[in-house]
Amino acid sequence: MQADWQIPRISLLWLLVSMVVVIGLHVEHLPIWLLSAALLAVVWQIQNYRGAWGQPGKHLKVLLTGLCFGGVLSSYSTMLGLDPMVALLVSGFVLKLLEINHRRDALVIVYLAYFVAIVQCLFEQTMMTALPVFIAIMIVTAALVGLHQSNQDRRAGNRKYWFRPLQTSVVLVIQALPLMLVLFIVMPRIGALWSVPRHQDSGITGVSDSMSPGDFSNLSASREVAFRVEFEGDIPPQPSLYWRGLVFSEFDGRRWTQSGPWGYRDKNLLQWHGDQPAEWDSQVSRHGQPLAYTVMLEPTNSPWLFALPTARPDSSGVALTRDFRLYNKLPVNSEKQYRVRSWLDYDLESAGLTPLRRRLELALPDGFNPETRRVAKRWRAENPDPVALINRLLKQYNSEFIYTLKPPLLGKHTVDEFLWGTKRGFCEFFASSFVFFMRAAGIPARVVVGYQGGERHPNGDYLLVHQYDAHAWAEVWLKGRGWLRVDPTAAVAPERVEMSFTDLFGKNKDFLSDSLLSLERYQHISWLNKLRLNLDALDYAWTKWVLGYDHVQTDLLMRLLGRIDPMRIGMLLVIAGAIALAPMAIMLFRAREKHYRDELDQQYVRFCLRMERAGLARLSGEGPRDYAKRIVSMRPELQGDVTAITDLYEAQRYKNEQFNAGLLRQKMRRFYPGLRRKVRL
Amino acid sequence: MSAVKKISDALVARIGDILIGKDQEIRLALACLFARGHLLIEDLPGMGKTTLAQALAGALGLSYTRIQFTSDLLPADIVGVSVYDRDNGSFEFHPGPIFSQLVLADEINRTTPKTQSALLESMSEGQVSVEGETRQLPQPFFVIATQNPVTQAGTFPLPESQLDRFLMRIKLGYPDPAAERKLLAGDDPRTRLKKLKACINEKTLQQIQQQITRVKASDSLIDYLQRLLQQTRSIAELNDGVSPRGGMALLQCARAWALMDGRQYVIPEDIQACLIPVCGHRLTGAGSDQEIISLMQQVLNTVDII
Repeated sequence: MQADWQIPRISLLWLLVSMVVVIGLHVEHLPIWLLSAALLAVVWQIQNYRGAWGQPGKHLKVLLTGLCFGGVLSSYSTMLGLDPMVALLVSGFVLKLLEINHRRDALVIVYLAYFVAIVQCLFEQTMMTALPVFIAIMIVTAALVGLHQSNQDRRAGNRKYWFRPLQTSVVLVIQALPLMLVLFIVMPRIGALWSVPRHQDSGITGVSDSMSPGDFSNLSASREVAFRVEFEGDIPPQPSLYWRGLVFSEFDGRRWTQSGPWGYRDKNLLQWHGDQPAEWDSQVSRHGQPLAYTVMLEPTNSPWLFALPTARPDSSGVALTRDFRLYNKLPVNSEKQYRVRSWLDYDLESAGLTPLRRRLELALPDGFNPETRRVAKRWRAENPDPVALINRLLKQYNSEFIYTLKPPLLGKHTVDEFLWGTKRGFCEFFASSFVFFMRAAGIPARVVVGYQGGERHPNGDYLLVHQYDAHAWAEVWLKGRGWLRVDPTAAVAPERVEMSFTDLFGKNKDFLSDSLLSLERYQHISWLNKLRLNLDALDYAWTKWVLGYDHVQTDLLMRLLGRIDPMRIGMLLVIAGAIALAPMAIMLFRAREKHYRDELDQQYVRFCLRMERAGLARLSGEGPRDYAKRIVSMRPELQGDVTAITDLYEAQRYKNEQFNAGLLRQKMRRFYPGLRRKVRL
Repeated sequence: MSAVKKISDALVARIGDILIGKDQEIRLALACLFARGHLLIEDLPGMGKTTLAQALAGALGLSYTRIQFTSDLLPADIVGVSVYDRDNGSFEFHPGPIFSQLVLADEINRTTPKTQSALLESMSEGQVSVEGETRQLPQPFFVIATQNPVTQAGTFPLPESQLDRFLMRIKLGYPDPAAERKLLAGDDPRTRLKKLKACINEKTLQQIQQQITRVKASDSLIDYLQRLLQQTRSIAELNDGVSPRGGMALLQCARAWALMDGRQYVIPEDIQACLIPVCGHRLTGAGSDQEIISLMQQVLNTVDII
């Protein structure tokens, strides 16, 4: 098949550039073979344009399509999920580049490019990803502009010529900004109609739904932000900042996991925000004033949320679970903002545990850690008071154990080896061994994971919690007192809890092992640290005001409109749009106005506008005499007046030294009433 | 000043009798001569270039010679030579065909650059130097050159600097159907050319030429003209815009055009009528001649007169 339409050279250039840019956005989550295929397609298209290579034949195209499909399937082993879908979309995009035969094909590429660029926002919506997407949109628009540039005024070699489409596109996009803002503010957000499944192993760091030895060392090495918290009052002291995320009650000898809903006899295990308090809500008694704050959580791909104990959700779509954690309706795939009230002073299930529940919180796998079980029984016999037992174990930790992020590896009996052998480890070792010991001694206990502490932003007045703040601690249940938090790590390394993590380990440059480019690596260089904190403040503002706007929008519209219905929103859209576009209209009008040199020209232009309304507009560049001739040829009945006005204007403009615009005005004043009748305006 | 209008209308009518259906081109040619410029007519063979030149000479009552340019024509064939006179025992100058008030240089691009430059030098100086002696050419002195489009084989295209010597370049083009029918039905133009009588004399012509300098160009008009020139310089598709000399030539022609319309002042329409004939051949670009003309048309449409 031969191309029946030549793409303008300039458009091809911008098409290729936009393709490279748009695919470049997805570089992180595309397989290598697809990137090479894209490169090949670009080279092929260039060669085809130069006439060196032909277009691929029908059979080859079918083969390539099959190959791409197979490639996606073999890379991801499924077609479901965001990543394989995007890979499929991109491979279609790449293949389409090989068959630009018509203008239509080029347009399809442009529209696909817009789509592929926007798809990036499904992965991430931070400011740092929004900016490249914005730039990519400008470049794709340049390709669209280039496509409409006439083939005739082509002039290769002139640099200005090549950049003209980009100039036009930048101007277009900037002009569209006010309207974009209006749509952002007014347009009602439609909730997710479907959720896009993403692979769990897609490389997001964060607390996972199980805990086995060594898990946390990965987290500790990550400087990524986990979430940010804005308190409505003062930020509580560091040692009370225990961000509960998950509760692990089941242990298989190596791995701690959540227990199922067994053991609870309640009908509803989730209590959504806005629901009537469930029966089991009375199991917790809250004392004192609550602490109100808003959490801005980075995507975790998991439904659980983090909050200080004991929490009550204040945002829709967030539920309190039966074990008093927070739970989101959907896995958190993009930045999530939620408001919480927490009572730091509380009693949790102090009335008692159901027998089944109690059994679950005491369960231990058979055949693991015999030594610990033995010692625990002995100690229990020696210390009937559980508090004394706990203190004895904590004292043991304090005197003999060493807190380190690089502990020795453990074998089958993890707790035994840790407690009576290596004695070196970090939070999860302590939490795991502590809970095991307590259960062996007959005290219900469980592991809680989440984050501890946070970095107070110097000027942002918010708390920055990093992945390296991930922490595991224990909760024990004591008769009459309910669940109590015990942090064995605090016993061995109280600094870990009292200071923020970086304060503690900041001097040790090796403890975090990530890239040299990371700003967090250079916290000891003060101006770089300042830069990092300023960047974070910017990112925080973005998260709060742009991504978090959804939460404010309803209130804002309510206050603005009184009632939200389609009619009112439509009106608001129209009015706000008009206001947004008004400055541009005024600017255009001004530009036109400024062009008139003096009153004489103004009068003449007024005449032209009258004629324009009668359907006889003056063409750009048309001289007054030619214009008059044209009017007369179309409307002979106007001859007298039009000729008189034109002659008067012409004579005053080009013949006389001085002019008297009043003369023209008079003449026109006499002319218009008649004109109205004659042309039947 | 309708005298000039009357004269030029009469001239147009008389020449139009011979070159049928080309009144606009005849008018432009007259305006060019009134503005003391030389005229280049470019078109395919047989479109009436020579006829127009001959008719102009006849109607204006000027002495007229025609030089047919060929590839072996030498400069001496144009300006003349000194020949030894045995009777007087001295060299005597025999003036060449250039010593005439209206010279028709037919197919100027068929000859070598050397001969072309001999003609073009005399056009700009109004005099010729032969064997160390400068000889004045008669006044008024016009050259009407014709040339075939450069795409034709066996031609030496004129360089830009020499094209600049021509005030105007016009193209004749095919006549419209009615004019062509009339042409086919009528006598042979050559016989009608012979019957053509002059309708002005040398003196009137010189008067008209002097009057042209007094035609008024107002500030608004100068402003419009300047904006037009500016616009030609901002077109990426052209190598360069119109030079200031081109701008002055354009104004000069517009003045002649206005005067022929019976006005003592220039209006934008005069400029618009002259822009393409005066500036078309002074511009070069990547595109063909036709593309340059359409670019100029675009310039006229973009620059508003107000």
